[in-house]
Amino acid sequence: MVCRLALIVFPAFLLLASCQKETQVDRATKDGILLVGNSAEPKALDPHLVTGVIESKVISALFEGLVGNDPKDDDATPPGAATSWEHNADMTEWTFRLQPEGKWSDGKPVTARDFAFAYHRLLHPDTAGPYAEMLYFLKNAEDFNKGKITDFSQVGVKAIDDLTLQVQLREPVPFLPSLTRHYTWFPVPEHVVLKFGKMTDRFTKWSNFPNLVGNGPFKLTKWRFHDVIEVDRNPYYWDNAHVGINGIRFFPIENPYTETRAFLSGQLHTTYALPPDLLKSMKAKSPEFLRQEPYVGTVFVRLNTTRPALNDERVRQALSLTIDRKQICEHIAEGFEPAKSFIPKMGAYEPEPVLTFDPEKARKLLAEAGYPNGDHFPRFSLLIARPSARASAEALQAMWKEHLNILVNIQNKDWGSYVSAQQSLDFDMAMAGWIGDYLDPTTFLNMWTQGNGNNNTGWSNASYEAFLREAALKSEPAERLALFRQAESLLMKSQPILPISHYARVYLHRPEVKNWHPILLDNHPWKAIRLEK
Amino acid sequence: MSDVTVEKSSSLWKDAVHRLQRNRAAIVSLIALAIIIFACIVLPAIPGFLQDPNAQNLPNKNIGPSASHWFGTDHLGRDIFSRVLTGGRISIAVGLITTLVSVTIGVCWGAISGYVGGKTDSVMMRIVDILFALPFLIIVILLGKTLEPITASLTNFIVDSLNKTGAATETLNKTRAWVEPITTLVPLFIAIGTLSWLTVSRIVRAQVQSVAKQEFVEAARSLGLGHCRILFRHILPNTLGPIIVYTTLTIPSVMLLEATLSFLGLGVKPPYSSWGILIDEGANRMISNGWLLFFPTLFFSTTLFALNFLGDGLRDALDPKSAKD
Repeated sequence: MVCRLALIVFPAFLLLASCQKETQVDRATKDGILLVGNSAEPKALDPHLVTGVIESKVISALFEGLVGNDPKDDDATPPGAATSWEHNADMTEWTFRLQPEGKWSDGKPVTARDFAFAYHRLLHPDTAGPYAEMLYFLKNAEDFNKGKITDFSQVGVKAIDDLTLQVQLREPVPFLPSLTRHYTWFPVPEHVVLKFGKMTDRFTKWSNFPNLVGNGPFKLTKWRFHDVIEVDRNPYYWDNAHVGINGIRFFPIENPYTETRAFLSGQLHTTYALPPDLLKSMKAKSPEFLRQEPYVGTVFVRLNTTRPALNDERVRQALSLTIDRKQICEHIAEGFEPAKSFIPKMGAYEPEPVLTFDPEKARKLLAEAGYPNGDHFPRFSLLIARPSARASAEALQAMWKEHLNILVNIQNKDWGSYVSAQQSLDFDMAMAGWIGDYLDPTTFLNMWTQGNGNNNTGWSNASYEAFLREAALKSEPAERLALFRQAESLLMKSQPILPISHYARVYLHRPEVKNWHPILLDNHPWKAIRLEK
Repeated sequence: MSDVTVEKSSSLWKDAVHRLQRNRAAIVSLIALAIIIFACIVLPAIPGFLQDPNAQNLPNKNIGPSASHWFGTDHLGRDIFSRVLTGGRISIAVGLITTLVSVTIGVCWGAISGYVGGKTDSVMMRIVDILFALPFLIIVILLGKTLEPITASLTNFIVDSLNKTGAATETLNKTRAWVEPITTLVPLFIAIGTLSWLTVSRIVRAQVQSVAKQEFVEAARSLGLGHCRILFRHILPNTLGPIIVYTTLTIPSVMLLEATLSFLGLGVKPPYSSWGILIDEGANRMISNGWLLFFPTLFFSTTLFALNFLGDGLRDALDPKSAKD
């Protein structure tokens, strides 16, 4: 009898025990490991070859710029790879003193030459770095990048000694410290890059596991394609004592619905984005996990202006005038703000609200362009990279069909080929987003200049670039912003891009993660994070 | 009035129908299938009966089942009832067309291989073995992707020639809504069709080999009939049973494959729907709006179950060795 009872009780006990089994998140919290949903497989981890936010999350764990990020304040500039810096009176010459203890994750010291090497590599025309224009603030950098000069010593960067880096700028840049927090300003290890190829070779093995060497708080310990990227504490990091967690796991979960389910079943500490249509039920069911924060960024449709029909300004305006942005933000991208212009409101900059919804005018413009009632309008494909973009894309598809009688296909590609298709202008239209890299309108305006690696529209305009050049020379903030407004109005009239909405950062986050505060640029310094039950 | 009861002669087919009628699961399945196919093929064709499956009404999004929207609405305010029915059309079309392609190839290949025999047979069957060894889903995806530009130009060609007829925009759009989802699926038809005939060919080959040794084939041969005639008029009709059974079992597996590919984003392009796409969208939102998953899944699984039961029933019914009663 006893025996039989045990037979029944024992499995039941096991079943019960398995129900109370600790989740992945509990175990990770105990081990000091942060589990992060990171949306997609990074195109690469070489800071000179990528442009995305996804890559930036991993790169900022592996590398460190001259200036660090503060967990609470976007404007604070704690020391990073540099301990201190000073500038001359008109802010065109800056000197950074590096950490004497700064080391790469293989134990070699980080020197000012590594920085100069990195800038040389990114700016070299053969590297074809898509984000090289972030360094155009350096004197002569643009000319060097465009091949007008071939002598790098004329570019405004100099390693005075092992621990002193001097940069000369083409214009006064008061926000240089926050600019250097971007991965284009990070150093790369010269000794490792050159081991795997020439300086300008693209996609060599230096940035793969196990070769990658960084100077950040973490080092790369595992990279399984489309599965996980693991980084663990870097013992050589100068500030290792203040790194609060032992490692981070980045999961490339492309489908945000899957990511949400993974979070709710205890597999992630923090998600990349919550699908807007789950917002309401999350608010009701688990408000303790929900985070809604402002975010400086814009969702837009990028047009390939080299395509017939799309090369006509009137067609582009017609497409823009038939987007009902209010409807989209109210019903599909809940929590987002309808875009009235390209640049979101930031600091003292007030963009001119020019984007409207006017189907009548749009039809007239389309007819003037030679497509009355949408007749003979070419069939274009709208490129998307994430399942969450499908709803907005389908809404656009329906709006253009309803108001302009234009039919558009929707084409889905994975992140890598989506980015490549745009960079090689092998697309018609693409749903895209842009997140500000620093808090200044130039982070939204500089990209639409000719030959810029993030332009990808085939559009350029001489007077637009003249406005930007003029603004760069002005030191009076009001004059500067006025010129930016003029440039933006010009951009919004020509519309190589159709802005739709301004981002809000909506995601799920576990309360165990401490020292993670809402900040505008969303650059939460990984080393400041603590995990506490 | 004779007191001797003579058993009425009955053909194999009559017996089969009789046996099928007594199989309750198969009959229920048949009725369910008839209803679903009627609903999917006929109802969307009645003008004005269904709401436009692709018409969005954003303020009406995410409404549960109600009198005006029997199956509720999705995240863009589209009527799920009409989306399920029009999506069913595509899923059923995929099932039928690809099965037709694969059974035609498979029957011809297997029949020739089994009838000719010898070295030809070995070579043909080794080819089947090799194709069997390929990873099916990956090849389908690769083939589909490679063929995509060709079908895109096919679609454009059809749409352009429609444009040239100068028909009214309204009818043009309607025809487009018909033609387009089908032409975008052509790569899948070809890819699935050309790879899923392998099993059929093996079954048919074995059947042909056993039938070819029987006396009536000898008789036909001694009458001087040609090979083609013997194969297609005398041998193949005798292997029809297994072919029919296999066909009813292939349709659901192909529909499942279409759903899998649509789930992966490789099937029908938005805004058109198929059951696979509806299930994908529903599964994403099942935490908040369960009906988006429930109704397409109900239709899809009912169809799959029914086809499988019917296939089982047909197999029992058409088996000549089963007891005559």
